[in-house]
Amino acid sequence: MKRTFYLFSNGELKRKDNTIYFETENGEKRFLPVEDISEIMAFGEVSLNKRLLEFLSQSEIIVHYFNYYGYYMGTFYPREHMNSGYMTLRQAEHYLDDSKRLDLAKRFVKGAADNMLRVVKYYEKREKDISNVREEIERRRADISDCDNGETLMAIEGNVRNTYYEAFDAIVGQPAFAFESRTRRPPRNYMNTLISFGNSMMYSVVLSQIYRTHLDPRIGYLHATNFRRFTLNLDVAEIFKPIIVDRIIFTLLGRRQLSENDFVKGTEGVVMKENARKMFVEEFDQKLQTTQNYKSLNRQVSYRHLIRLELYKLEKHLMGEKQYDPYVAAW
Amino acid sequence: MASDDMHVTGTLVWYYYICQRQVWLMAHQVNPDEDNPSIDLGRFLHEHVYEREKKEISLPGMRLDVLSEKDGRLVVGEIKKSMRGEKSARMQLLFYLDELDRAGVSAVGELRFPEQRKRERVTLDEASHTELDRARRDIFRIMYLSEPPAPEKIRYCRGCGYAELCWS
Amino acid sequence: MFVILVYDIKQVRVTKVLKKCREYLYWVQNSVFEGEITGAGLKKLKMELGHIMHPEEDSVIIYNLRTTKYYSREIMGVEKGGMDQII
Repeated sequence: MKRTFYLFSNGELKRKDNTIYFETENGEKRFLPVEDISEIMAFGEVSLNKRLLEFLSQSEIIVHYFNYYGYYMGTFYPREHMNSGYMTLRQAEHYLDDSKRLDLAKRFVKGAADNMLRVVKYYEKREKDISNVREEIERRRADISDCDNGETLMAIEGNVRNTYYEAFDAIVGQPAFAFESRTRRPPRNYMNTLISFGNSMMYSVVLSQIYRTHLDPRIGYLHATNFRRFTLNLDVAEIFKPIIVDRIIFTLLGRRQLSENDFVKGTEGVVMKENARKMFVEEFDQKLQTTQNYKSLNRQVSYRHLIRLELYKLEKHLMGEKQYDPYVAAW
Repeated sequence: MASDDMHVTGTLVWYYYICQRQVWLMAHQVNPDEDNPSIDLGRFLHEHVYEREKKEISLPGMRLDVLSEKDGRLVVGEIKKSMRGEKSARMQLLFYLDELDRAGVSAVGELRFPEQRKRERVTLDEASHTELDRARRDIFRIMYLSEPPAPEKIRYCRGCGYAELCWS
Repeated sequence: MFVILVYDIKQVRVTKVLKKCREYLYWVQNSVFEGEITGAGLKKLKMELGHIMHPEEDSVIIYNLRTTKYYSREIMGVEKGGMDQII
């Protein structure tokens, strides 16, 4: 698969001849081979012009922007190139029909819960005292299939997640990184900052994969389509957040690669310093490149690829071919 | 679920002789994966090979790769990446010849495999005309199915731009 | 696959070759590129280079490493190019 570029330096991104060129404000010059780019994530102050946007669009390269504090700002989503009116109608049909929508939403919630369980079990095997959390998630997960409306489902989802978060302190075992409670926009402690940053990376990566399928990212099922631009990526990201983002956080903390000194507290809440962000991003990219065997395709696929396959499974559900059964980690 | 403007195209004929599921997916604009290396190369060849005489012509249901004239007869060229699926390629070209024939244009076909540096002559006859009529009707039947035909593992799955959709 | 591409091209055409290689691979130092590329990508690159170069005067060598498992890379002196994803 083509690569993702993460631009932390400030500079100018432009089209030069038939490829992409990045010149940092420190005078560093780099050609990025257009044939090897699938997406760009811009963290620094990156200036660009319309000529570049046209070229990115033609080359089907998507760009995600993050602001100075590392919060997701937006995406340059080039004009759809895989558009299928048929698929869009199917997506809309599954949104408008309450029972079809609830069915899909439940599948996402269940997939997310299953992967949270995988994470909890993984650390339970490593002698973390979290069996009560596992049991509680298992109990709440059982309520998903009986649930008959969206509000109840959201309540179950919230409960499962809160229970899951209770395991974090036991897994990490570092008081400085205590979870306390989930706080967003802005996150109020180190752990919440890590979760928010990782999740927004996850949303972007899923969105990039949606761009390469026939799906319309604006129609989601679990997350209400209340006129936000993208929601389907949030749904699909639920499946992968525990096994990718949370595992990265635990790994980085377990290796003592992050400390209190990697954060600053300000009016924007607690934010990671640039070096910490780079380290996270590097770990994240490597994680997405790790491969595992995919039985029905009979070959090794990366996590990034696995996200794409998940989207294809969703397409088949929408086409009425095969009910969507979310990916659950095998470890 | 099918729209009024559904019609049989040369591309669908090509797919029909390889995999019927592809016909359905194509007809519903569920296009194959563009990251697939062979799709990528196919697009590239279309854009770059035979640049000199490239006159891609679009008629309803037809996208003719190359047109030329030889001994006073129109020659329709169709470019293919590999010899795999040669039968499909021949049927696709015959379909174009047949469509042109119906419009009163008599033409001969030439299959081109630039990578193998091979060309192959194709002419329309009564038997292929009958076969195309049958294929046209069957393609319509597939297009109007409410769901795609189930995937089947065949030798073309390897390297197919739909493999990941089919086997995910 | 991972490839290392080196070229020796007549002055008049060298810029064209350089520019073409930049679309596919990462510049290492003068006349040297490297990078991960698919079989199809390599075919495209070779076809494009084939159009630019004059086979009786120019030379392009592509070293093809199916995997980078047993490969090590050592730099003496200055690292001029790079293929970092984090810039």
